[in-house]
Amino acid sequence: MAEIFKGFRPYVTWANARGAWPEMIFSTRVRFARNLDGFAFTNRAAPDRLAEIRRLAFAAAKESGLFPRGHYLKMEALGALEKNFLAERHHISPVLAATACPAGAVVANDEDLSVMVNEEDHLRLQCLSAGFAIEDAFKAALKLDEALGAKLPYSFGEEFGFLTACPTNAGTGIRISCLAHLPAMARLGRMPAALESLSRLGVIARGIYGEGTYVLGDFYQIANAACLGRSEEEFCRNMDTVVRNLIRQEIDARELLLKGPAKLKTEDAVYRAAGLLRCARTLSYSEFMQSMSLARMGVAMGWDMGLDLSTFNQLTLLMQPAHIQAAAGRALAPAERDAFRADSLRKKLQ
Amino acid sequence: MKLCEDCRKAPAVVFLKLAVNNKVTGMHLCQACAAKKGVALSSETGIFNISDIVGNISGYFNDFLPPERKMLACPACGLKYSQFKETGRLGCPDCYKSFGPQLTELMARIHGSTRHTGRIYTGCGALKLSKAEAARRAETLKAAIKAAVGKEDFEAAARLRDALRELESRRG
Repeated sequence: MAEIFKGFRPYVTWANARGAWPEMIFSTRVRFARNLDGFAFTNRAAPDRLAEIRRLAFAAAKESGLFPRGHYLKMEALGALEKNFLAERHHISPVLAATACPAGAVVANDEDLSVMVNEEDHLRLQCLSAGFAIEDAFKAALKLDEALGAKLPYSFGEEFGFLTACPTNAGTGIRISCLAHLPAMARLGRMPAALESLSRLGVIARGIYGEGTYVLGDFYQIANAACLGRSEEEFCRNMDTVVRNLIRQEIDARELLLKGPAKLKTEDAVYRAAGLLRCARTLSYSEFMQSMSLARMGVAMGWDMGLDLSTFNQLTLLMQPAHIQAAAGRALAPAERDAFRADSLRKKLQ
Repeated sequence: MKLCEDCRKAPAVVFLKLAVNNKVTGMHLCQACAAKKGVALSSETGIFNISDIVGNISGYFNDFLPPERKMLACPACGLKYSQFKETGRLGCPDCYKSFGPQLTELMARIHGSTRHTGRIYTGCGALKLSKAEAARRAETLKAAIKAAVGKEDFEAAARLRDALRELESRRG
């Protein structure tokens, strides 16, 4: 199997159930979109110039001292499975995985900090933190941004701030997102109304892998839509308020699921899901996520699901298709993957 | 009498004024053309509904741009404004200047604001460019100096020459 998998840890710290409200917020991500002055944006720059940008970005990341024993990855040197593995870990986007131009990624050894090079923008810097931790993620991402900005000339204008390929990212270039687990609201059919009121607050909700992806296992990525006209801190505060409100709504919904006759129904659904995870002989990823979502809520409700919250979190990463193949040590057909997934899950839950 | 700037046939009865990016843009229009652009001029009162104009600002640049402006392109990277409208992606940082008025309006719709008030970027240390990249930039600067001298814009030529010297000193 490829070298890259050996270099990455089996578990990542940002997926542990830490920080505030880990029962509802899986992780927090803060990213900055940046471009280098003197170069056209990625979509209009020639391959040799993109290679130069990557060379400069890798050198700046090395000099920053923020990536000791970090991974410096050139996309063209990676196979499809390796790229999918990195996308499943949220280090690269599906867009970067699919690019044919000289692109890359720098990933810290702890896998909390990473930089995508030559995605839609020359640089996408991000910090991932466990649980609900907007301030921590913001501070760490800002430190990375300042370190790279001291070495690389960012495109910046007084009027529109940090200039990006798409005007939706210009200004601060900040995107603050929380991966929220909202199974009770989903069960009560409250998500459509909640999503509508979020959109009125200038907040977007997307699937688990970000833009253009499906909602799996009741996980929603909640992020700010606008990023110009306010300070970075103000955008953080606004997101903090919105997500806290969402947490409150999910707590209300969970309480409702435990009230009176609803409790037996909830218990039944949760334990059936746990039974399916324990007994299935083949299990697709979406089926896993569906049952895991209920079992994860069961853990939060204090019921014995056989595993703790952190392990459930890690499993949402480890059960993904490319992770399954990395664990198997070879490429597997979908049916083989489903059998392998069910097998390894059964061993964990015994 | 002033003719309508759009159809150039009927007399202009409306002057549509729009402040964009601190610059005032305006157009004299006849009643029919103004109505076509979404400015509803009430024949009885002669007052038009401000919300009609605001609601149509998004279509403003589409419809009001004279033909030569519709071919608007960024001189730095060559991206046409029409291409940006198709893909939603700009070509280079200079596009923000080239399409300034259009982007200001777009920013207001996307972000609800037209001005950055976050962190100010103060620049970086000397960049270690590769030989190929430094050579390419030197060639571009030399061509620009030649063009500036040709146009007798000696001020610009001097500025470019300084930039070239700076680049060459960095190459060592």
